[in-house]
Amino acid sequence: MWRVLTSYAVPLLGIALVTWITSAMLAQWGLASAALLFLLPVLLGAARGGLGPGLLAALAGAGAYNYFLLPPYFSFHVHGPDHAVSVLVLVLVALVTSRLATRLRAREEEANARAAISEELAQISRLLAKGSPVEALERARAYVAGIYGPLRIDGAQDGFSSLDQAAAAWAMHNGDATGHGTGVMAAAEWTFLPLSPKGRGAHALMALARPADGQTRPMAQIEHIQQVALLLGQGCDRIALDEERRARETLAESDRLRRTFLASLAHDFRTPLTVITGQLEALAKRSPEAGEALNAARRLERTMSDLIAAARIEEGSLSPQAESLDLIDAADAAFGAVAVPAGLSLGHAIPADLPFVRADAVLLHHVLINLIDNALGHAASQVMLGAALRDGQVTLWVEDDGPGVPPADRARIFERFARIEGGDRAKGSGLGLAIVRGFAEAMGMQVSIEDSPLGGARFILRMGA
Amino acid sequence: MNRVLVVDDEPAILRLLGAVLARGGYEAAAAATAAAALGALRGGGLSAAILDLGLPDRDGLELIPMLRSAGVPVIVLSAREDVGEKVAALDLGASDYITKPFDGEELLARLRVALRQSGAAAAQEVLAHGPFRIDTARHEASIDGRGLTLPPKEFALLQALVEAGGRILTHAALLEKVWGRAHVGDVEYLRVAIRALRLKVEEDPAHPRLIRNEPGIGYRLMDTGA
Repeated sequence: MWRVLTSYAVPLLGIALVTWITSAMLAQWGLASAALLFLLPVLLGAARGGLGPGLLAALAGAGAYNYFLLPPYFSFHVHGPDHAVSVLVLVLVALVTSRLATRLRAREEEANARAAISEELAQISRLLAKGSPVEALERARAYVAGIYGPLRIDGAQDGFSSLDQAAAAWAMHNGDATGHGTGVMAAAEWTFLPLSPKGRGAHALMALARPADGQTRPMAQIEHIQQVALLLGQGCDRIALDEERRARETLAESDRLRRTFLASLAHDFRTPLTVITGQLEALAKRSPEAGEALNAARRLERTMSDLIAAARIEEGSLSPQAESLDLIDAADAAFGAVAVPAGLSLGHAIPADLPFVRADAVLLHHVLINLIDNALGHAASQVMLGAALRDGQVTLWVEDDGPGVPPADRARIFERFARIEGGDRAKGSGLGLAIVRGFAEAMGMQVSIEDSPLGGARFILRMGA
Repeated sequence: MNRVLVVDDEPAILRLLGAVLARGGYEAAAAATAAAALGALRGGGLSAAILDLGLPDRDGLELIPMLRSAGVPVIVLSAREDVGEKVAALDLGASDYITKPFDGEELLARLRVALRQSGAAAAQEVLAHGPFRIDTARHEASIDGRGLTLPPKEFALLQALVEAGGRILTHAALLEKVWGRAHVGDVEYLRVAIRALRLKVEEDPAHPRLIRNEPGIGYRLMDTGA
């Protein structure tokens, strides 16, 4: 109010001053210079106060000029057209100057507002970047709340009316600002603003309370606050990323522990087993009981190896190295590693010109040992290993003349601890065939069962040539 | 009597190895740490060493080159099953490796091979192992007195295996010796040459008895073939 009063009063005072000076100096300066002086308060009024004060100063100036300076003095009577032009010029100057000044002032205000907004966003960014993500977000939230009033970004629903909840649901679903001050459910007490840009997944929300004075926020301000909300959303993202990173680190650490545990388990079991089997070996030459104990210790060693292999499959730490292999070598090495019980025969019919295969030598070695062991456990008299090239694919099989595997059990038999009911498949750890499948799949081979021409089961491995 | 250095941090394993070695007619010198092993090496008089890789003070792999350069053949005895580690031990100059638990008789057999090998002069003109004889000067090879006609690569391969005298040679070592350093990764070359060689020396190439493969590691020549 005071500003408006002074914006009118100051140019009027100026006119009075100019009138006083010019009427005193008229004789020396002449009429034209005196008229020019009247422009000064008009310019001042229009530039500072805008159109109203400018026009008032122009009219007052024209009046004063006419009344005090133009003959006949102390009368508003206008003589010639040159005086009318003076009045017109004063009015025009007031009009143009006030237009220019108003536009300039509007632009300056706009720039100031923009600077304030970017300073605010920059301040929020600074707050979000400092310290732990959780603390940074809380500091930024408090800063924004200090400017715009109470706000929540915790996503909790307590304290919201059903209309607020509906507005929140709408904002969540559509990614639009909703509630008080917006075009959607404006009757709500809160304004809901999404924390992530429109069209990007589910939206977490910022809830902003209705201003304390009960006013409705202008649309432009809502748009600005939406920018603020997106910035706070980045803070939330940072928390989520941080949590994700920490979860990954925990996982990697537990993975490392498990690997270390497996390695030390292997070592810790093998050392005492080495002592046991070694000492029993010496004793077994003299006593059959020690021989039995030796066999039991060797079985225990195999079971341990199976358990460790099964754990490696489970944790996915197998990393097969594909190299060129001769299946004759593979069969030869596997035969060297199994004990053939008395009364059984073990042989192979692998063609000497079979193409080399690509496989991991160690994993394939274990696969063959387990298949042969399994077959020896069920064979009546013989176990045969065979291989052939079919449709560009090398197929390897291990078969026996035992009771075979009923079709109903074939899918299940590769599961861990699977044993056929009624059979005497209680031998071994129950892991052998699960390891076969695990290792084979790790090498990209398929394993299946069919009936053997020998009468028992035939386990088939299909591998790339 | 041959003195064999036994390096293992497990007292029970040391006692067991002492018993096994005594059975084979060797004297065991026990060391529980790498430092003690190096002390025994400085003391001299060792014919061979049986070395555990997991030692408390340093990795057993580091000891292999030191023992080798002192002319002591090394057999690695480890609970670790990792193929890469076995290959590394062999490529560092170990004569052989055995995994725990081990068979006493097998250990003694491997030890005999290692000792025989270290006794043989490296630059002999005529090499022999099992049924094989190779005259390096004349570039002639024979099996049970029967002359073999071998292309250069197969001859070089057989020579390398005979020179090793029953010790295991890694794929990379064979490839480097026969094909050169640039081909240490080309295991396929080796498979082809071994198959061709078996056709000429094995009675039944589908059931090889002389040239044996260790999965993922390498080849060795058996001397029980004849």
